[in-house]
Amino acid sequence: MNGGDGETDRRRRFGELCESLRPDLLRFAWWLGRDRGVAEDVVQESMLRAWKSLDALADERKAKAWLLTIVRREFARSFEKKRLELSDVDALVAAESAILAAPEDERVAEMREAIFRLDAEYREPLVLQVLMGYSTQEIAGMMGMQQGAVLTRLFRARARLRQQLGLAPEREP
Amino acid sequence: MTTCLEFRRRVGAEPFAADAAIDAHRRECAPCARHQDELRAMDGLIRQALKVNPPARESAAAPASPRAWRPRFFAVAASLAAGVAVALIVLVASPRAAIAREVVNHVLHEPDATGATASLPPAAIAAVLDPSGMRLRDGVAGSVSFAARCVVDGQVVPHLVVQRPEGPVTVLVLAHRSVARPVRFSRQGYAGVVLPAPRGAIAVVGQDVADLDAVAREVFAAVEWGK
Repeated sequence: MNGGDGETDRRRRFGELCESLRPDLLRFAWWLGRDRGVAEDVVQESMLRAWKSLDALADERKAKAWLLTIVRREFARSFEKKRLELSDVDALVAAESAILAAPEDERVAEMREAIFRLDAEYREPLVLQVLMGYSTQEIAGMMGMQQGAVLTRLFRARARLRQQLGLAPEREP
Repeated sequence: MTTCLEFRRRVGAEPFAADAAIDAHRRECAPCARHQDELRAMDGLIRQALKVNPPARESAAAPASPRAWRPRFFAVAASLAAGVAVALIVLVASPRAAIAREVVNHVLHEPDATGATASLPPAAIAAVLDPSGMRLRDGVAGSVSFAARCVVDGQVVPHLVVQRPEGPVTVLVLAHRSVARPVRFSRQGYAGVVLPAPRGAIAVVGQDVADLDAVAREVFAAVEWGK
């Protein structure tokens, strides 16, 4: 009986977790794949994988980082090759125009498209840092990289954004 | 002791970095402090830009009954129309719109520039282009009737008016702007094209100019960009 209650409680907590984190997971997956269909599929599959390996989550306070790591692995496993075939970024911009639109502020729309056009190696750590709020050390852990490499990518991401937006260029380190 | 280069490497990757070394350098170096403030402001914009509405696909479920089909057909049609409208808005918005707005606003701001028709002497043109390291080849693109260094989007840029058989065209050299490919626009009675240039971009704008692209290409070819 206790085991059954435990399972029910586990399901409920997992459901609440997914519900609260789903918007961020979808945003992250969309910025990875730049395709709403891919984002939906990646998050759906990631939820299934997370449920199957829920016991691996020792600390629920770290659930978001854990789920984001599952999302990026799932994306790499299933969709990265597929998206690389569609390398025409102009076509991607056109296809995702509804999400890129920010009619309330033209500057936001301009920045959004500039980020959309960044190479994945710069876009991903930027999303994890600025949107998800992780430190460079945490990002290094999630991406399996040295912290110094993450710092370089973040520096270059901002330098490229400044370049794309026509701002004064920043010297590369 | 943190150098300016070390400071900028650090805040370029982490604009909100704050420790004793960063704080000390900020106090000593006003340009670096301003640079960090700019990066922090840019991060605010990046955050807003990244916060897209979570993407969601429409359900592909079939209509429950024939009665339900008709409203759903109209709903789908309306949603497609809305999608097309959004796509059109996006085509006009973002970087293209920003450049078009800057250029056309400036042209509207200086209506007298297109009024003069007499050719300027080469020295007057050189005085405008030299500071930007450029020159115009003689007689290639038409006679230049206006030349000035103007402020566009906070930057000083060369502004020329070239008299062409098709009518006067305005040329702005936007070294502070970059475009990956030609950007065409039509705004407030003006048609324009912005071309990628060796340094930034060059905008060519006219009213009722047939084949503006060809004119823009000629103007572009007439510019020697220097080093």
